[in-house]
Amino acid sequence: MGEQGKANGSINSMQRVKVYQLKNDGKWDDKGTGHVSVDYLERSEDLGLIVIDEEDHNTLISHRISSDEIYRKQEDTIISWRDPELSAEVALSFQEPTGCSYIWDHICGVQRNLHFNTLSNLEVGPRPTMESFDSVGRSHSNDESFHAVNSELQELPSVELSTLPLILKTLLECGVTDPLRVADLILQDLEFFPKLVDLFRMCEDSENMDGLHMIFRLVKAIILLNSPQIFDRIFGDEFILDIIGSLEYDPDIPQVQNHRSFLKEHVIFKEAIPIKDPLVLSKIHQTYRIGYIKDVILPRVLDEATIASLSAIIQANNATVVLLLKDDTSFIQELFARMKSPSISDESKRNLVLFFHEFCALSKSLALGQQMRLFRDLASEGVFDIITSMLQSQDRKLVSIGTDLLLLFLNQDPNLLRSYVIQPEGNVLLGLLVKGLVTDFGEDMHCQFLEIVRILLDSHTLSGSQSFQRDTIIDIFYEKHLDQLIDVITSSCPSTNISHKSSKSASSSRRLNARGVTKPEILLNICELLCFCVLHHPYRIKCNFLMNNVIEKVLLLTRRREKFLVVAAIRFMRAIVSRNDDHLFRHIVKNNLLKPIIDGFIGNGSRYNMLHSGVLELLEYIRKENIKILILYVVDTFWGQLMRFEHLGSIQGLRVKYEQSLESCDIKNGPNVTDPRKRIDERALEKEEEDYFNEDSDEEDSATAHSSRTWDQRTRPSLPNGNKANYSSLRPSSGGLVDYEDDDDEDDDYNPPPRKPEASGVDDRESTKSKRKLTSKADCEDRTFEIGKKRRLDQNLSDSNNVSPPAGSLCTDIDFPNNAQLCDATLTTENNDRLHENRGDDEESPSSQNCNESHPEAADVRQSSSDDCPLAAPINNSSPDMVVNGASSEPYSVR
Amino acid sequence: MSELDRQIEQLKRCEPLKESEVKALCLKAMEILVEESNVQRVDAPVTICGDIHGQFYDMKELFKVGGDCPQTNYLFLGDFVDRGFYSVETFLLLLALKVRYPDRITLIRGNHESRQITQVYGFYDECLRKYGSVNVWRYCTDIFDYLSLSALIENKVFSVHGGLSPAITTLDQIRTIDRKQEVPHDGAMCDLLWSDPEEVVDGWGLSPRGAGFLFGGEVVTTFNHTNNIDYICRAHQLVMEGYKWMFNNQIVTVWSAPNYCYRCGNIAAILELDENLNQKFRVFEAAPHESRGVPSKRPAPDYFL
Repeated sequence: MGEQGKANGSINSMQRVKVYQLKNDGKWDDKGTGHVSVDYLERSEDLGLIVIDEEDHNTLISHRISSDEIYRKQEDTIISWRDPELSAEVALSFQEPTGCSYIWDHICGVQRNLHFNTLSNLEVGPRPTMESFDSVGRSHSNDESFHAVNSELQELPSVELSTLPLILKTLLECGVTDPLRVADLILQDLEFFPKLVDLFRMCEDSENMDGLHMIFRLVKAIILLNSPQIFDRIFGDEFILDIIGSLEYDPDIPQVQNHRSFLKEHVIFKEAIPIKDPLVLSKIHQTYRIGYIKDVILPRVLDEATIASLSAIIQANNATVVLLLKDDTSFIQELFARMKSPSISDESKRNLVLFFHEFCALSKSLALGQQMRLFRDLASEGVFDIITSMLQSQDRKLVSIGTDLLLLFLNQDPNLLRSYVIQPEGNVLLGLLVKGLVTDFGEDMHCQFLEIVRILLDSHTLSGSQSFQRDTIIDIFYEKHLDQLIDVITSSCPSTNISHKSSKSASSSRRLNARGVTKPEILLNICELLCFCVLHHPYRIKCNFLMNNVIEKVLLLTRRREKFLVVAAIRFMRAIVSRNDDHLFRHIVKNNLLKPIIDGFIGNGSRYNMLHSGVLELLEYIRKENIKILILYVVDTFWGQLMRFEHLGSIQGLRVKYEQSLESCDIKNGPNVTDPRKRIDERALEKEEEDYFNEDSDEEDSATAHSSRTWDQRTRPSLPNGNKANYSSLRPSSGGLVDYEDDDDEDDDYNPPPRKPEASGVDDRESTKSKRKLTSKADCEDRTFEIGKKRRLDQNLSDSNNVSPPAGSLCTDIDFPNNAQLCDATLTTENNDRLHENRGDDEESPSSQNCNESHPEAADVRQSSSDDCPLAAPINNSSPDMVVNGASSEPYSVR
Repeated sequence: MSELDRQIEQLKRCEPLKESEVKALCLKAMEILVEESNVQRVDAPVTICGDIHGQFYDMKELFKVGGDCPQTNYLFLGDFVDRGFYSVETFLLLLALKVRYPDRITLIRGNHESRQITQVYGFYDECLRKYGSVNVWRYCTDIFDYLSLSALIENKVFSVHGGLSPAITTLDQIRTIDRKQEVPHDGAMCDLLWSDPEEVVDGWGLSPRGAGFLFGGEVVTTFNHTNNIDYICRAHQLVMEGYKWMFNNQIVTVWSAPNYCYRCGNIAAILELDENLNQKFRVFEAAPHESRGVPSKRPAPDYFL
C-alpha cells in the first residue's frame, strides 16, 4: 500500500474498515481500523485481501481469497467469512457502502477467475496485474498509475483459434479490474468480431467442440464487459445471429442448445399491418432477440448491471418503435380504419387488436409526457369506440384484450375514459363494464371488470374541475347500475322466508345452486365493489342504501353456502360500520341488520375460521370505537346467543362496554340514545325468543340456552315503561351479567381483548375494575360528567388531536380510584369529537344533497358524513398504480 | 387420474397452468382456506419449511429431502413468490397440493404474499410475462388474503413467517384479526409477517425493514411462557446455515431457499418434527445446474413488436 499516502480523501474513506474477529465466547473482538485493498500476497501469485492499520501501518489482515463460497455480504457495509488460517470468523465493517460493494465485486471477480482457471487449465499469458484500489472512481484516461500498472495490456492479440485462450484469459482477468480498457481494445480492432464470427462458423462446420466452448466463454465474457458500444456492434443485424449461435455451446450444459433454430423456425413475426420503415423492422427484431438472450440464454450468467443495460436497450428500442409508428399518421389511420371496419375477417381483426394492444403496452417505455400525448391522440382517434365494440364481441379473447386496453388507459390517465363515459354515446361502455362484472365468463377470467369499474368510481384520484366527470360517472352508476348489481344478489340468494339455521340454509341454497344461479365469484366481485362504494361514496350510499334497504339485500349473501361469500357479507357490514355514521347505525338497529351476521356466527359454532374472526373483529371494532347504539343493540338483542362465546376476550369486552354504556346513559340522560334502543329491545327480544324456541342446534349448550331465556324473561316486562333507571336497577338480578368476573378467575381460556400499547392502560382498567365501578358508581357520577363536559369543550376549542388527551387536563384521571368510569367518559367524548372534526376531504359533490329530501334526519347528514376519514384498513385496494405509489419499498427483505 | 392430479404432475414439471385452470384452482383453494383459522392447528409429525421465493427447482430438492406430499405432512411459512424465476409455478404447485391434500399441507402467509410487495419484487412481472396479462396475479393475490397468519403445532410450537407483535400477547388475540385484506402497514397482522428477533434489542425495537418490529429475548420468553409453548419457529431472514436458534432455543429461524437469489451461497434447511416433537433439521443445497430446465422465461413464440 505504498500509494496510500497520495490517495485522496474519498478513496481513503472508501477503503476504511474496522476489522473484527469472533472470539470463542461469541463476542466480536475489535482488531483495529485500517485500509483494505485487493492485491497480490507477498511471495505468492495469489490475490488476497490486505488490511493495513491506519495508525501503525502494520498488516492487520492478509487473507488469500478462496474459491470456496465462504464470503458473506451483510447489510451494505459488512463482509465476513470464516478464515481457514485463523480458524475464526472475520468481519470487515466498511465506513462506506461503495467501498464495501467495490471489495465485494473484487472478491467475486477473483473467485470467478479461480473457478475459471480450474475449469480450463489455462497456462498461457503473462501474469496480469491487478489495478490498485485508488484508481477506483477516477477517470482512467488521466490516471497515470493505471496505465503504468496495465502497461502490458496495450493491445489484444489478433483473433485466431490459437490466440483465443490468451484473449479469454486477458478478458477474464482484466475484464474484472478494468472492463472499459478491455472493451476499448476490442472495439479498436475492427476485425475482432468479423474474425470471431468466421472462427465460430469454422469451428461449427468442423464440429470442433473445444473451439466452440472456448468461443462460448469468450462471448459470455464479452457480454459481461457490459459495454454499450460492444452491445451496439454484436446486436446489430450483421452479428447477432452468430453471437446467439455461439451461445448454443455452453460447456456446462451437455447438449447443444438450439436457439437459432427456435428463433428462425418457431418464432413468428406477425405483421398485422405492414410496417414499411426498415429501421422500425430492424429494431423490432433486435428487441426480441436481445430479450431472448437476456431471459432465455443467459439469465443465470448475467450480473445485475448487465441485465439493467440490456433492459435499457430493449426499453429504448420499444420507445423508438412506438414513436416512429405513432408519428407515421398514415399508419395509425390505417390501423384504426381496419379495426373499425366491419368487413374484415375475425382472424385479422384479432391480429389487429393484439397488435394494437402490444403497441399500447409498449408505450410504457415512452417518457410520461409522450405517453400521455399518445393516449390522448388515440382517444381522439376513437379508441374507446373500438374497445366498446370489442367488449360486445362473442370472442372472449377480444373482450379480454379490450379490458386490458382499458386498464392501460386507466393507469395512465383515468380521465380520458371518464370523459368518454359521461358522454351519451359513452354510457354504453359503462353499461358493458357493469354487465361484464356480472356475466358468467365460464372458465375465462373476468376479474379485470371489477378493477376497471373500481378505478372509474374511485373518489380519491382527482380533485377540482376533473371531479365533475367522476361525480357524473358516480351519478350514472348509482342511477342506472346499482340496482342491477343488487338484483343479481337478491336473485341468487335464498329468499328471506327460508330459515337460516345453518343446516337448512345449506340444503336450500344447494337447491338454488342447482337451478344455475350466479357464480359465486361474480357475487364476490359485486360485494367487493359495494364495499369499495361504501368507503368512497358516503353520501350516495346513504341515500341509496337507506332508501332501498340495500344493506339487507346484500346481507342475503350470508345465506349462501359458500363461506367466502358469507365472509364477504360480513366485510360489507364492517365497511358500513366503519363509516361511523349515526344514520347508518340507526338504520342497522331499526332493521336488525346484524341479525344475519350474528346468526351466521352462531351457526358457525366453535369453528375458528374466517367467518368467526370476521365477526369478532366487527364486534371488536364496535367495542373499541365505543359505538354505543350498536353496543346496546348487540348485547340487548343477541346476548342470549352470544353468551356461550363469553370465554372469548372480545365478546366479554363487549359485555363490559355494554355495562359501561348503560351507566354513561344514566349520566348523560340523552334521549336520542335510549329511544331507538327501547324500540328495538321490544321487538328484537320477542323475535329472539322465537328464534330460541326454534333453535335446534345441538351445539347449543342447554344450560346456556336456559339461562339466556331466563334473562330475557326477566328483562322484558320492565321494558315497555323502562327508563334507564329501571334498566340499570334490573341488572344485578340478571343471570349472566354479574357473575362474569368470577367466571374469569376460573376460566383458563380467558384472554384479555387485544390492545394497542398506548391504550393498554385503559383496557386493563376496563376489564379489571368493572366490579368496583358497579358499587361506587354513584360517587363519581357527577364528577365524571363534569370532567367529560370540560373535556369536550377543550376538544372543541383545540381540535388538533383526538387521540391523546390534552396535556395536563385529564392525564391525572388515571390515578382516580374509579377511573374506569372516567375513561369511559373520555372515550365517549373522543368519539363525539371525531364527528366534529373537519377532515377537509369532502368527496361528495353538493348535487348529492338531493337526498336530504328523502331523509328525515337530513339536517345532520352534512355533519356526520364529513367524517370521511381515509380508512385505516383499506379494503382490498389492488389497483397496481395506486399501490406502487403507496408501496413502501422493502428496505431489506432478508439480511 | 383426476384433473387436479394431472395439474399437479404438470406443475411438478415446472409447466404453468392455463389461466382458466388457475381461476378454478383459486376458487377451490378459497373454499378451503376460508375454513382455516388465523392460528391454524397442525398435528405432528410435520416438516416445517421457510422461504422459497420462486426457486422452483430448489423446492423440488426440498421435496426430495423431505419426502413428497402427502406422505410427508408439510407446513410452509410463506414467501413462496418473488425474486426467483418460477414464482408462478412454485405457488401454483403448493396451492394445488393444498387443494388436493388439505390436511397434509399448511400454507401460511409471508410478507411477500402481498399486492404491493409482489409488484416490486418480481411476481407481478413474472405473471405478466408468462400470461401476457396480470389476471393470474390478481387471482393469486386475492388468494393471498385468505392464507392463514400462523400455525400452532400440537399446542407447543408456534409458527409464523416474521415474528411477534407488541399488540399480541396471547395467541387468542390473533383470533380477532380479519385477515382478508392486503397486508397492512402496521398493526398485529403486519408485525406477524414482518418482525425479526434481534440479539441486541431489549424488548421492542424499530425494524430497519420499515415494517414490523425487532424483538429481544425477553419478549420471546414472556410470549412462550404466557402461551405455554416450547418455542417459536419462523422464517423471513436468510441464514447461511439454513437454520439458526436464538435466545437459548426459544426461537428458531428456518430458511429453505438455497443459494438465495441464485447467488447468496447459503444452504437451506427444513425442520422435521416427529410425533413427539423431536427436532431434526435437514439441510440441502441448490439444485444442480443440469436439473434446471433451460428456458426460464421463454417469451411468447410470436410477436408483433
